[in-house]
Amino acid sequence: MQTAFPHSAPTPRPQRKQGFAVARLCLVLCCLMWLPLTLWAEKWRPETLPMVYLQDARRHVCNPDHILDPATVAQADSLLTALERDKGVQTVVAVVKELEGDDPYAFGMALGKRYGIGSKEQRTGLIILLATEDRSYQILTGNGLEGTLPDALCRRIENRVMVPELKNKHWDAAILLTLQAIDGIVRNDPTITNQLGEDEEDTADIIAGIICLVVFMLFLVVAIYYGWRSNRCPVCKKAQLKITQRRKVRHTKTGERFTEITLTCPKCGHSHKRRIKDNDNQGGAFAGGMAAGSLLGGGGGGGGRSFGGTFGGGSFGGGGSGGRF
Amino acid sequence: MTSRISKTTIGIGIAVLVLFFMGFSGYNTLVNLDEAAATAWGNVQTQYQRRADLIPSLVNTVKGYAKHESATLEGVVAARAKATSLQVSADDLTPEKMKQIQQAQGELSQAIGRLLMITENYPDLKASENFSELQAQLEGTENRINESRQLYNKSVQEYNQTVRRFPSNIIATLCGFDKRTLFEADAAAQKAPTVEF
Repeated sequence: MQTAFPHSAPTPRPQRKQGFAVARLCLVLCCLMWLPLTLWAEKWRPETLPMVYLQDARRHVCNPDHILDPATVAQADSLLTALERDKGVQTVVAVVKELEGDDPYAFGMALGKRYGIGSKEQRTGLIILLATEDRSYQILTGNGLEGTLPDALCRRIENRVMVPELKNKHWDAAILLTLQAIDGIVRNDPTITNQLGEDEEDTADIIAGIICLVVFMLFLVVAIYYGWRSNRCPVCKKAQLKITQRRKVRHTKTGERFTEITLTCPKCGHSHKRRIKDNDNQGGAFAGGMAAGSLLGGGGGGGGRSFGGTFGGGSFGGGGSGGRF
Repeated sequence: MTSRISKTTIGIGIAVLVLFFMGFSGYNTLVNLDEAAATAWGNVQTQYQRRADLIPSLVNTVKGYAKHESATLEGVVAARAKATSLQVSADDLTPEKMKQIQQAQGELSQAIGRLLMITENYPDLKASENFSELQAQLEGTENRINESRQLYNKSVQEYNQTVRRFPSNIIATLCGFDKRTLFEADAAAQKAPTVEF
């Protein structure tokens, strides 16, 4: 396709200015025609493939070239979301036109390693690739899924379900039928259960919460103690000082405003004065606002987590099966 | 005077303690890395065994369709026997033994490659679902062998670096941690059989 638009323009003849202009025009035209072509047929690399799951945990199908029908993508997404919820199998489906290097196995392995598809404990990641222009496909199973989906079974699904549809260019049917077949096999395997998911995360959250609370309480106790001690009468050390007078004063030289507080001990009658700068109160208010803001921000962050998905660091050992149609 | 001596003693004591704990953690790191490398070697062996286990059914399937290819089939069986006879534990992996293993496994790879090549001449065999699934298993096992070899090399590299680096090399020498052998990228031995569809 790319050879149809040669880069080199006709050789310009230096003696003729017009010929040179034509050559430049040709070059510009070539470049302009080239641009949409290269954009249209991007060869995907594991780094460039947009991983939609990270934005939305309910989206498992990467369809950057819009090969699959939106309805198919939605159906596949809901099937795979349910499978992840019930069995803990984290799946990524990528349907593209071309892969750089034309090696679906290497692409899938790189994708799996890059994102750590599947959880670290279960290692039940699953990658399904289809490159329609390369005419290649690949199923890759995570280490924890090799027992449920051995290579031979992957090949059987490909041979019986996927490839016949691919040969007829029914991309939607090929992907959906393959996913349904895999879904059936995984659901029939009682050894695979969603071990981590919400429960473990919740326990971790609760523990973290308790630790935070304990630290906060300790901090509070220490603060109260020091506050109490600083207000203790320095002479008799038996009672707390009480505010007996409060008045506004102004520094004659600097012009700063102060609040002068007179503190008196109710036991021994000792009294002393303390000056507090007026803008200190503003600082307090600011800090308070910051604390409240960070608390609110924390709450917002916690709520946001349910939208984007995270991969748990699953590993792939090379299991699965692939081929060309 | 006495306070001065006691201060020096305390100083030396602290230094000894710090050195002791550093040596402690250095030793533990070495043990962990050593174990990781041994496990990685175990995984490589498992994958080699997995391939060896696939060969009888591969040979039987091909035999059913291609009776006249007995020389190639026997070649595979002989290469398998040779490869499986070489089982070396991670601690006895000398460079020579590693070379032997790589050579035997490489020969097995080539024998399998030749066997798969002749299956091209038997359309019935190629169309058989059983054979296709066997091929998928074989291909997956080749991939697993490559992956496990890479992981082994990675963990050995990390271990060797720690063994040679200062100050952990002192503990390594004292406690007898030796360098481990890496897989060498031998083009002939590493060549996986090409599986065509």
